[in-house]
Amino acid sequence: MNLYRSQFPVFDKYPNLAYLDNAATTQRPKVVIDAMTEFYSYENANIHRGVYDLSNQATAKYEAARAAVAGFLGTDAANIAFTHGTTASVNIVAGSFLADRLQPGDNIVVSILEHHANFIPWQILAKAKGAELRIVPIDEHGDLDMLTYQEMIDRRTGMVAINHISNTLGTINDIEQIIAIAHEKDAPVMVDAAQSAALYPLDAGALDYDFLAFSGHKLFGPFGIGVLYVHDRYLADMKPYNFGGGMIREVTVDETTFASYPTLLEAGTPNVAGAVGMHAALDYLSQLDRATVRHDLTDLSEYASEVLRSIPGVSIVRSPRRYAGIFSITIKDIHPHDVASFLNKDGIAVRAGLHCTQPLLHAIGVPATVRISLSIYNDRSEIDRLRASLIDLIRFWS
Amino acid sequence: MNREEIQDLYRQHILPESKVPYHFERRESGKVVKAYNPMCGDKYELFIQQTVGVIDEVYFHGFGCAISKAATSMLLRKIEGMTDQKAAQYCRDFLNALDAGDGSSLADETLKTLVALKNFEGRVDCIKLSWEALLNTLEHDKSE
Repeated sequence: MNLYRSQFPVFDKYPNLAYLDNAATTQRPKVVIDAMTEFYSYENANIHRGVYDLSNQATAKYEAARAAVAGFLGTDAANIAFTHGTTASVNIVAGSFLADRLQPGDNIVVSILEHHANFIPWQILAKAKGAELRIVPIDEHGDLDMLTYQEMIDRRTGMVAINHISNTLGTINDIEQIIAIAHEKDAPVMVDAAQSAALYPLDAGALDYDFLAFSGHKLFGPFGIGVLYVHDRYLADMKPYNFGGGMIREVTVDETTFASYPTLLEAGTPNVAGAVGMHAALDYLSQLDRATVRHDLTDLSEYASEVLRSIPGVSIVRSPRRYAGIFSITIKDIHPHDVASFLNKDGIAVRAGLHCTQPLLHAIGVPATVRISLSIYNDRSEIDRLRASLIDLIRFWS
Repeated sequence: MNREEIQDLYRQHILPESKVPYHFERRESGKVVKAYNPMCGDKYELFIQQTVGVIDEVYFHGFGCAISKAATSMLLRKIEGMTDQKAAQYCRDFLNALDAGDGSSLADETLKTLVALKNFEGRVDCIKLSWEALLNTLEHDKSE
């Protein structure tokens, strides 16, 4: 029996659920659900504006969550803004940071591996500003072509946007090297850490990224809360994108002056319970031995890769040299959606489709895939069930 | 719907239609209707040959799941020879029955099968894809 499975209430209700859709969202451990229930039940109040005990306590909890995120990334709370999620964070950087700096003739460097969330905001901005969107390709393994990075990043590069782990192929990108190449040309780097934040080290000091985003719900925390990290060197360049309460310094009938980062990004009532849940999720992660968990997950991924490869008719879409527990597969003559529906009937939850990576699938020449994504509560028995179901389906179909 | 029921439905109705779909061929002429589902990647083009208000022939081509392919194939079999107006009403009746989850009002057995598939979780968009795309086109044409 998997060590972590019992910590997630969903498996009490569905003991036989093989949940293999963790790249879409992870399940929530009881400690996270309890923390949010506790907040809503006994600690609920709006933050910042009240002087009564409950409000003060809610404010303290919200700021403690920010401090916990800062600790998680090895930085200061002053660098951390709460957002709705990774998508919001990327959009904020595009609109509130880069939009005013980008000049016609400049360029933005993204990769073909990007999720739409880390692709479209840059594509739109580049178009609007007369800048060039440069797209780093992958090789036949599904790894980024690092030589192209050297060629594409230059003194006119306004941003290098890169995901740490591909949500479709599972490629673990060498962000350290990409950041080093970018910084040689003084180009800032935005890291989409949605798929990596749960288990991979993201120390701000060691990696020296300029912007980083992740979501609560992909690291066992709640929906609707995310993080934006901004490096000290760009803090003063961040502009507000939403106007309203909580983010101002002074408002007169003639003009408004704004608070500094991160407050200026947090107009309106923030998702306080979400921050509390995020904090609980980070506490949950901190008591895991993440190196061992990563090792076990790599082990499980290798097993899954071997098993999937051994099934006649099943192809794994690309095989990156370094990969996390995410696979895209195709099955001869059976559409991914039909595969997912039949697996569902066997209690196996996977995702089928384009995974918000249309440019990637188009470049590879695959119309859609079945995606299998693993997390800490998965084990070999589930991979064996997946194998049996796929073999059964292929036999049924032929 | 349990696993065996789904297998029966696929075996008897879906796979025979999706494996040998009706008029599954790209055409260079005629009106092109795009039936795209950006969520799952299903992408068909319907090629409609019309003479004044009548649908003479329809072909389709593209990529999609067995259900969307079978549902498109069934649609094409039915609407050839219909006036635009009748075809639109035919689509409307089917989509209404699908929304209501009750195929009893439909005369056609194959359409009743598709309505039964509504209970196949999360797949109603696959059934509707080409039907909605065609209906939108026919209604748009009418309003022009």
